[in-house]
Amino acid sequence: MAESPKATSPLGRDEFYVGYLPVPTRLRRFLWRITPTLLVLLAGIAWILASAQRDPGAGIWNDAEAKTFVGVIDASPYPLIRVTDEAGEAVTYLLVEVGKFGGGQRAAPFAGKAVRLSGWVLERDGRRMIELEPGDTIHAAEDVRDAERFAPPRRETLGERTLRGEIVDSKCYLGAMKPGDGKTHKQCATLCIAGGIPPTFVTRDEAGRRAYYLMTNRDGGPFDERILPLVADQVEMRGSVERRGDLLIIRTDADTIRRY
Amino acid sequence: MSVGYVAVQWNRHKRVYDACVIGGILLYVGVFFSVGKALFAPPHAISDEILAIRALGTCAFLLLHVILCIGPLARLNRRFLPLLYNRRHLGVATFCVALAHAALIIGYYHGFGVVNPFVSLLTSNTNYSSLAAFPFELLGLIALAIMFLMAATSHDFWLKLFGAPAWKRLHMLVYVAYALLVAHVALGILQTQRAPWLAALVGAGVVVVASLHIAAGLRETRFDATASPLDGDDGDWVDVADVGELRENSGHVAVLGAGRRVALFRVNGRVYATTNTCAHQGGPLGEGRVIDGCVTCPWHGWQYRAHDGQSPPPFSEKIPTYRARIVGSRVQINAKALPPGTPVEPAVISEHADG
Ligand code: FES
Repeated sequence: MAESPKATSPLGRDEFYVGYLPVPTRLRRFLWRITPTLLVLLAGIAWILASAQRDPGAGIWNDAEAKTFVGVIDASPYPLIRVTDEAGEAVTYLLVEVGKFGGGQRAAPFAGKAVRLSGWVLERDGRRMIELEPGDTIHAAEDVRDAERFAPPRRETLGERTLRGEIVDSKCYLGAMKPGDGKTHKQCATLCIAGGIPPTFVTRDEAGRRAYYLMTNRDGGPFDERILPLVADQVEMRGSVERRGDLLIIRTDADTIRRY
Repeated sequence: MSVGYVAVQWNRHKRVYDACVIGGILLYVGVFFSVGKALFAPPHAISDEILAIRALGTCAFLLLHVILCIGPLARLNRRFLPLLYNRRHLGVATFCVALAHAALIIGYYHGFGVVNPFVSLLTSNTNYSSLAAFPFELLGLIALAIMFLMAATSHDFWLKLFGAPAWKRLHMLVYVAYALLVAHVALGILQTQRAPWLAALVGAGVVVVASLHIAAGLRETRFDATASPLDGDDGDWVDVADVGELRENSGHVAVLGAGRRVALFRVNGRVYATTNTCAHQGGPLGEGRVIDGCVTCPWHGWQYRAHDGQSPPPFSEKIPTYRARIVGSRVQINAKALPPGTPVEPAVISEHADG
């Protein structure tokens, strides 16, 4: 006869456990040892996994305090405002709404005009965005006389390029969600871009420096929805790159984008 | 058991068990969240919602490993039986943690947008043909549905309604849920955080779960292979044990062949035999004891009278009994099970047989 499978128990054979009866002494001792051990182990694993998270980047979202800006709105390819900072430099802020919506609807009537608007700033790597304060918060800025301050940005064509990187929704990536990229954020990014948040192509060079390319169709208009399945994946694309003021723009076609 | 159902038949053990489970979950989530906050200070802070999503998700995945390991661990070493006793509460707690993880994701990643969050969840990503881009969320959702089904039917009411075998089969879906969750993790967070050691950790979890199951399974199969049926006219009788192996008021598991087992009990110098399979969830009765004259299952403590396989009043569960006889010092069992609840004469141990 083979040994019965219960044989390895270090419990005394007379120590029998049932939940509704008092726990036998030796088993109680075992449980007193194993329970704290398991709890410590649990806390240790939590510690290790929490510290293994990758750095989400230095994006910030100043959502505590709304700021007012005076500048000129441009509605194409995506709503944005150009303002002049303290140093006299022209700075571009993309405009989006609260939630996962682009700022097109409210900004369009002001295209080409000087306005005063208020909202919350998002910023990462010098890329900037304003989340517009809801309500009637964009007004024509009649008092802006110095039109020179808002001269149209200089354009410079940088030629056809093939780039590798990730298509992100600019709002989350600049700091609304951290991290706002990668596979786990893919569906959110898709929803954001579908809602009009400008898609941005983020590349990294060997030193890990990021470059941000605002993505447009070949004709320079806002990118179409064929981009959506490729959001947040590692992709390669070909397009013509231009510099417009402090923005880099890539004009491309969804057909040239492929996962690698 | 079958006397009117209450939500939970509480006892001290269950309370302590639940306190440990809830304490463990709070501890895990608390440590994860605080360490995440402390290590990633602004401007490199991780969003609170994402920290919570990760804390809850990893916690549920970890708990599922514990749940899956308890079964084989308790087979291999009886000291783990107290963890098995209230495993269903652990299962329900795990489901709740997973549900909180999913609710946060649906609200945070899928809320505030152009479409309903549930529509977004199901339609935002339809790259089913690409492994790298695969909508891993869907795998988690199916696993969550399975866990819901299991948590919702974890009460003995459902066990009774479906019958133990069907209920057990339903609850075997936990392995499907586990497989889905491994894929959910591999195609999800492991794509966002491509650290090889994290992938290795998930792999190690799978290896631990699988090897414990294999070890416990092998042990059972080897044991089943020890059946020794008698030849000739006595073909129905199987030689199962030596009288000397039976201890007063203790159970003893023996094999009848063809994967069937019988539980032997020695009470007041008599040998009784019942099926080894508890009517509750199939616990090994032969590893139990005789308490107050009743065979007591080691898993959750259900009881049956040794002489007729019936639960003492007011309970009404019945298990099959077997005829036993003693030849020399050997215990023999008639392999034909008697209908559940049939009274049988025990085999009496003579002084001589006891040696
Ligand atoms: S299996 Fe639950 S008491 Fe026997």
